[in-house]
Amino acid sequence: MSKRNPKEKDIHRLRGSWNVVFNLIAGIFAFLCVFPFLFVVIISFTDEGALARDGYKLIPSQWSLEGYRYVFQNGEALLNSYFVTISVTVVGTLISLFITALYAYAISRKSFKYRNFFAFLAFFTMLFNGGLVPTYIVVTQLLGLKDTFWALVLPLALNAFYIMILRTFYTTSVPDALIEAGKIDGAGEFRIFLKVVLPLSLPGLATIGLFSTLGYWNDWFNALLYIDNPNLVPLQSMLMRIETSMQFILQNSQNSSLSLGAMQNMPQDTARMAMVVIATGPIIFAYPFFQRYFIQGLTIGAVKE
Amino acid sequence: MKKKKSFTIMLATLMACTLTLSACGGNKDNSASSGGSSEKPVELIWYTIGAPQKDTDLVIAEVNKYTKEKINATVKMKMIDYGDYSQKMQVMAASGEPMDILFTSSWAFDYVQNARKGAFTPIDDLLTKEGKGITETLDSAFLEGSKVDGKNYGVPANKELPALEAWRFNKELLEKYNLDISEVKSLESVEPLLKTIKENEPNVTPFAISKDYMPLMPFDYLIEKMPMAVKLDTTDYKVVNLLETPELKASLATMHKYYKAGYVSPEAATTTSTDDLMKTGKWLMDRASTQPLADNQWSASYGYPVVSTPAGDSIVFNWSVMGSMQAISANSKYPEKAMEFLNLLNTDKYLRNLLDSGIEKVHYEKIGENMMKNLPDSKNYDIPTFSIGNVLLTYLNEGDPENKWDEFKTFNDAGKNAPLLGFNFDTSKITNEIAAVQNVKEEFWSSLMTGTVDPDVYLPKALEKLKAAGLDKIMAEAQTQVDAWVATKK
Repeated sequence: MSKRNPKEKDIHRLRGSWNVVFNLIAGIFAFLCVFPFLFVVIISFTDEGALARDGYKLIPSQWSLEGYRYVFQNGEALLNSYFVTISVTVVGTLISLFITALYAYAISRKSFKYRNFFAFLAFFTMLFNGGLVPTYIVVTQLLGLKDTFWALVLPLALNAFYIMILRTFYTTSVPDALIEAGKIDGAGEFRIFLKVVLPLSLPGLATIGLFSTLGYWNDWFNALLYIDNPNLVPLQSMLMRIETSMQFILQNSQNSSLSLGAMQNMPQDTARMAMVVIATGPIIFAYPFFQRYFIQGLTIGAVKE
Repeated sequence: MKKKKSFTIMLATLMACTLTLSACGGNKDNSASSGGSSEKPVELIWYTIGAPQKDTDLVIAEVNKYTKEKINATVKMKMIDYGDYSQKMQVMAASGEPMDILFTSSWAFDYVQNARKGAFTPIDDLLTKEGKGITETLDSAFLEGSKVDGKNYGVPANKELPALEAWRFNKELLEKYNLDISEVKSLESVEPLLKTIKENEPNVTPFAISKDYMPLMPFDYLIEKMPMAVKLDTTDYKVVNLLETPELKASLATMHKYYKAGYVSPEAATTTSTDDLMKTGKWLMDRASTQPLADNQWSASYGYPVVSTPAGDSIVFNWSVMGSMQAISANSKYPEKAMEFLNLLNTDKYLRNLLDSGIEKVHYEKIGENMMKNLPDSKNYDIPTFSIGNVLLTYLNEGDPENKWDEFKTFNDAGKNAPLLGFNFDTSKITNEIAAVQNVKEEFWSSLMTGTVDPDVYLPKALEKLKAAGLDKIMAEAQTQVDAWVATKK
């Protein structure tokens, strides 16, 4: 940039004042997004007594690690949940990517005769689904997945929306000519898919990968439905249980046995915030990893020849 | 052409695979059900409420040893946390998930509603045959009050029967200002105490309330926290609109006065809990539901002394009778065995304590004939005592007075029956109106009840809106049902 003649006008540049305004808007927006999380982090390091006395403060009068100590003391369940969440996310994302990529590729190929039928089959599920109870019956009774690891993985493995995205991606950014060229060079269908199509579709796959990683990481509903075994409860579901149970007990305070019996077991505010921090932390690191491809994915195919 | 054929073959293989797979799934179910032949012990699947515990399997293995011998049955206990229980059980009941015994109550997995839906097996016959022990130990009001349309569907846990509201006080502040609570009973009677604290302790919230607060009214509500009610001392069973009663008007005026005087927190109508005040001890009084020896438990949990005095009469309501029950699922294959198990659970001291406190010398140790002390491992098996059965059979905790369960019995005997005990409002005809009224109610309920707004201005407005939402129709339907119920009673 510095080598450029200063008088030469860069048509991509905004005028200085506009630049400041836009940067400011983007900055404020970014801050608004980050701030609540930052606040949670601060609260998690606040002393419980100070919290009860002064309420939520940006700079608490007394810092404390008590929340984290509590969490790690009863940490066995937490670490176990961590492990469940991570395994579900990794295994799930891989499976999800694998079958989504295959399905989308098949229906993106014009030479596949039943592509419209299968495209419709996927699309249909976006508009209609069986509802909660039939889904539950299929998963628990037909597939027998209740209380298994796979009940957390399989229900989220194939998403019709991702198929549509990826199919569009294949058709727009992998030219037919390339596939034909592969064929002429003697490659079979699998080789073409693995060596030609997949490398070209990395940005698309990364996008889907990020979506499903987040989907798996944040999923609590499947665990709520299908998991009874405390050793198989993922992190988000555990947090959700703690929150909803606390609210529930507060709302039913007229029941004296319930409120007296459950009073001791309620975690403190700071401990809950600490759990949120611990649960959100790792997934933040997934973003930069995917971001590289993500940006490419957004720009690629933006301009067609 | 070749490609097409291979595709067909692939499709056929796929179909075949699916078929085998589903067949396998089906087979597994069949073999499981045929497993319960006469000589083999029956396995009862039991869903109950509370946070899942680490040592559940350990304890249940011990339970099974005992029950196998006694009634030739084993149980498989699965715990579901409070917040999830209703939703999860709703789905499971609807999908016909195999289960035998399940927890139900007025506040989680609604007993009346699900009994009417047919989720439970009626247990009247079972009670007379396999469940004799239960009928003998339970106060008859429990079974009488938990009838739905004339039939029993659940075994109530023997525990505190009536509901009693109490004023709780922070004892340190009472002593500091030498305040006397012996004369306290009504909402109006606490005013001098609040005044003293307000004047002398600017940092203390005299009257701790949250948005769930409502003044204690001498009414029996058809639906909790909804304005349709019958007076507690009614003789003609007239359903009234709570918001139109002079009693409520007077109480709201008092609350508004307290609010203006600063006795309650300015945020009362929006705060979800008074937990922070309890933690810091910066409160003088609040209202809570009580049971015998509750003062000790409160004091122990807050870390400073708390005393209480009754705020009303102890009344046996529908919801207090249905506070904790175990029902037998409608799709249970072994209802008789399930009842035998429930009977044992409610009468057998060993089994009851095993399920409640865990294994002796692992989770607790006995320090007296009827008293126990928790060991460090008890944190791996900590389940809500009141939820699974007869509370009066459980060992006393270290520090409990010897006569704890006698006090419970006296407490239960003292309770007066509410006028609508045994009547359950069937809302199936007026679901839309109920939903509409509920929505309108949300708008103003908390601000009115906590005294945040002037009742003279907002009460008429609220009434008007509620009527527009169909409150009158609900009241008329309620009256018809109550009349029909009263007629059958005579």
